[in-house]
Order: sequence, then C-alpha cells, then structure tokens
Amino acid sequence: MLAKGVKRPRGEMEGGDPEPRDPSAAPASSLFNISMVKLHQSLRHVEPNLRHLVLVANTLRRMQDQMQREAGGPMAPDSPEAPSVGDDLLLSALDSSISTMLEDLGQVEVLSPARPEEEQPLAGASGARQELARTSAPCLGPLELLSSASYLLEDGLEDIFEDIDTSMYDCDLWSPTSLSGFKAFSGAEDSDSKALAGAEDRLDMSDLDYLMDVLVGGHAL
Amino acid sequence: VKCTSKSRVIPHKPPATALSDSDIISTVEFNHTGELLATGDKGGRVVIFQREQESKNQPHRRGEYNVYSTFQSHEPEFDYLKSLEIEEKINKIRWLPQQNAAYFLLSTNDKTVKLWKVSERDKRPEGYNLKDEDGRLRDPSMITMLRVPVLRPMDLMVEATPRRVFANAHTYHINSISVNSDYETYMSADDLRINLWNFEITNQSFNIVDIKPANMEELTEVITAAEFHPHHCNTFVYSSSKGTIRLCDMRASALCDRHSKFFEEPEDPSNRSFFSEIISSISDVKFSHSGRYIMTRDYLTVKVWDLNMENRPIETYQVHDYLRSKLCSLYENDCIFDKFECVWNGSDSVIMTGSYNNFFRMFDRNTKRDVTLEASRENSKPRAILKPRKVCVGGKRRKDEISVDSLDFSKKILHTAWHPSENIIAVAATNNLYIFQDKVN
Repeated sequence: MLAKGVKRPRGEMEGGDPEPRDPSAAPASSLFNISMVKLHQSLRHVEPNLRHLVLVANTLRRMQDQMQREAGGPMAPDSPEAPSVGDDLLLSALDSSISTMLEDLGQVEVLSPARPEEEQPLAGASGARQELARTSAPCLGPLELLSSASYLLEDGLEDIFEDIDTSMYDCDLWSPTSLSGFKAFSGAEDSDSKALAGAEDRLDMSDLDYLMDVLVGGHAL
Repeated sequence: VKCTSKSRVIPHKPPATALSDSDIISTVEFNHTGELLATGDKGGRVVIFQREQESKNQPHRRGEYNVYSTFQSHEPEFDYLKSLEIEEKINKIRWLPQQNAAYFLLSTNDKTVKLWKVSERDKRPEGYNLKDEDGRLRDPSMITMLRVPVLRPMDLMVEATPRRVFANAHTYHINSISVNSDYETYMSADDLRINLWNFEITNQSFNIVDIKPANMEELTEVITAAEFHPHHCNTFVYSSSKGTIRLCDMRASALCDRHSKFFEEPEDPSNRSFFSEIISSISDVKFSHSGRYIMTRDYLTVKVWDLNMENRPIETYQVHDYLRSKLCSLYENDCIFDKFECVWNGSDSVIMTGSYNNFFRMFDRNTKRDVTLEASRENSKPRAILKPRKVCVGGKRRKDEISVDSLDFSKKILHTAWHPSENIIAVAATNNLYIFQDKVN
C-alpha cells in the first residue's frame, strides 16, 4: 500500500518492536551519559561542528529539565525514583558547564575588536552594491593572516631563513615552475629558467627579492 | 511516477585505482540547461560530466554523460593561528547561467568560495617570432623578419581556471552558497552568518544575516541552509537547526536580522521526545522553480510550504518513518545528524530525497504516489529498469522486502540532483555517481 503523503500516527508503525515505544523512556541516565560524551568530544575539536554541538547541548538541557521536573515532582523522599544528592549536583552543574563551554567558543573571535558602534548599516541593497562596506564580521582583519598562503609571504619570511646556508642549493630551486602560485606560461618556462641559469651562475638576493615582491603583489587571480 | 531506467554507474575513479575517503562525493549539481553535471568530493576535486549530443547513428546512446573536465578546486589548508587543518571537502557547487562560450561555477569548502571558469580550447597559436617550434628561445639578433602567428586546430582541451577566490569572510563553516537572479551577486552562509558578495569583488562582502548572540553561552540555534528566490533578487530564505525557515527581504534593511516571514510548524505533542529538536533540524531548503513554494528536509520528512502560509506546511511526506522508533540508536551512532538534501523536478510536480541503504525516494505531489528506489551496482545493469523497493516495518516480511534492522546505515544517499527540464536524475552513493533516465519506448 503506497503512502499518501500524510503523517501517519506512530501507533501504526510499531510491530512487536522490543525497544520501548517512547524513545524518551529509554534509560535517561545512559542517554545523558552518551550526550555528555558527545559534547566533550565535540568540544575537543579546535573548530567544533557548531550544529552538532548546539543540538546535543539543547538535548542535554531537555533531559536536565525533565530530570529536574521529576525531582521536583510530588514524590516521597524515600521513593526509588527520587534522585540522589549526586544527581542534583550534577544537574545544577550541567547548565553552567554547557554555558561555559559555549562561552569558550566565543574565544574563536578573540583577536577581533567588537563591532564598532558607529558602523551604521547602509540604507538598502542598492546602496550596498555601490558601497560595499567591509564585512561586519569582526574578525576579517586577523583572519586575513590565517590564509596559509598570505601568512607564508609575510615580511618575516626572510628572517626565518637567515641562518640557513643556501649555497648548496642550485638556482633551479627558484625556477618559476617550482614556486606555487606562479602562473607559468605554457612552453616558455623551461627556456626562461635556462636563460636565467645561463645568464648568471646563481640568483643573487636582489633577484630573490624581486620574485618575492611579484608573489606578494600578484595575489589577485 | 514512472520507473526510471537506463542507468549508468560512474565510479569517481577508474576501477583499478584504490578507493579512499577522498572519493566520497559531497555535492552534485546540474547546470541550468542540464548539459553539464558537476560533482565535488571530499578530496577537493570537481568532476564535470557533459551530455553527449544525440546522434542518429547510435540512438540508444541517447544523451549519455561523459567526463568533460576534472580539476582540483580546493586544497587542504592549515590555519596557523588556530593550529587546525581546513578540510578541502567541497560542500556545495552552484552554476552560473551561461553568458558566453565558457562555463562558470562556484565551489566552496568550509571557508573559501571559488569561482571557476571552464572553457574549451581547440586551437593553438603557431609561428612565434621569439621562440622556435620546440619552445627554445631564439637569439633576437638572429631574427631578420617578423611573421604573424596563426591559429591552428588542436585536439580539444578543456581547461578550468580559478577566476576569483572569496576568502576570509567566514569564521564558521560554510553550508550553502546561492547565486542571485541578478547574476551579479551571490550569498554564502555559515552556521551563524550570511554574506552577500559581488562576483567582481573578492576583498569585501556584505553581512546580511548575523545570528551570533552577544554571549556565545546563549547560543541555541544555527543556520543550516540558505537560498535566493529564483526570480526576486531581493528575497532569500534560510533554515535553522530548530526547524524554522525565515524569509528575508533585503530591501527592508541592510542587515536582515528581522525576517519578513517566519515559517514553523507547531510541535506535535504526541510525538515529543528528547530527540524532537534534532529531528526537526532542517538539513536543506529549496525554492520551487516557480518560486511559489519552498521545500524543506528534516530527518524523517520532506515538507512543502506555500510562501503565503507561515503556520504550517501544505504537504508533508514521510521519507522513512520506520526510523522513528530507532532514534535512540541513531543518536548514539550520530546518524541522526546526517544532512539529507532534497530536490524538485523541472515542473515542480515531483520531489526527491535520499535515505539509507542506498535508497532514495520520489514523491509525486499530484497523484500522491511515492516510490523507493535503490542505487546499487547489483540492481543497476545499464539499461535495466529499476525495481521499486520496500522496507518491511513489522509482521511478516515478504520476499524482496528488506527489514528495518537489515538496513545499511553506512550507505546513505545525501546528495541528488534532477535535470532542469528532463527526467534525468543524478544520485551520489558514497563514492559512486548514478545517472538514471526515463525509459523511452
């Protein structure tokens, strides 16, 4: 029988399923533990999957609410369902832990200044096209350094290699084809590098400077 | 819904090559004419297929798709500040409409969007003055006359060149890109923000949505998908992890934090569980071609919404409701977080989405009929007709049915695409691409 595209009540689907009908009736403590493990695993990443993290955290909060409702409900203190003192402490600590963990994510943008108060949003989309403002995502500045290509080409690069004796390397190392990002013209580069090799015995530092300038300056594609 | 046939299985690599994680297809997209089909994979590669011209000599090879171009779109990058590697996996590919002989597409990983130009070269210049036929430089003093280089035919070469790189505008992971109908701008969305770009400008983007709370400890919701309206260049929608959709109008204000419309279905109290929010999280949102409807995919259903009715969807389709009793184990193994996509056919009459066990489902909105099909080598000899599949949910299992407990949850169909005008579909099953066409009598 083909489905008709309407929501079927769940009662129709069950058929001798040994699992509890209501997933939330599964032992709450084991679900709780699983969720805490997931949360910790997620936060161990430098850049956690935010969607996964938020969904797990919200699910944990739901469980916490449920457990607190059960705890605060009309139950005799000696009833088996009454939570132990340990559970109470755990539940109260949970909320602040989740908050702290999420707050730490805010450190992702620690280098950025807060969005300046005077930055006014532009009037409309057409205005936006004419005057595209710098993105209000606060960390655009520091993030520019994060692209590995531009980071490598910062001014400090030569300092890194100051103490390395490069005399053992021949100048083929610096031929245009071996430099990443250097757009080689087909058929020409071999003759170019050979011409360079023929012209001088080795590239001196002024040629190296020039090449670095070309790479840093010629970033646009 | 007609049964489709004429399948072609295209492995992402030639059979002799060892398969690895990087071959997993992560996005599939037809271009606006359906002539080209692009796939992106976990290894940062883009493979473009082109439909063969139909020929009278071989009528049975009606428009098959063959590899047209392959290139490395994104490389793994290292973020030195945070000491982490940025994945090269292609999250989304979107085509630009064709405006000249070349093809343009946008491809994105978690952090960087790139505009690629794919063009054909079938001529090359010969007769340079400064170098000879072998490419060796000629001694300028030996050149006594000048000639004009001529263009000579050569074997067709398809080359892909990166024309723009839009980087450093997303702190969080990009989940969507969408080309605007003005063809001048596009948007990129991450977990908390949506940026608007002009194709010509790579060092600036305009932030149009920002849901990051002042204190991250208040974070309870993320953006999961976003798309521009197909005709109104000022309108777009974005979906959230709480199962809501917001429609925004960029004319109203520059920062679209206030929505024009808010779509949410009230929670069914009888179905409430710890997992209610997770299964309501929307993994994909797509406008219909007409622009009148939006379709959303959450974990168990596909919903169609009328833009004029915000309080509930007009249609709800069960993709695999038999999983509702398995949510606990699906939560444990993280399958409950899988993000399935959904697609419309060209006339908006049929919708399609994937499921587990390499099953995918089609729903006919008019007849209300639906079908489950399987993308697997065993069932897909070329030109074989696909047989409908059925999952047995309890009681006696008939022959040819598969029980819920036998489903392979590692075989998930997350990405599918439908040709813009014909009944041709592309289905990505892990590292294999399946292309199915309607049977022609």
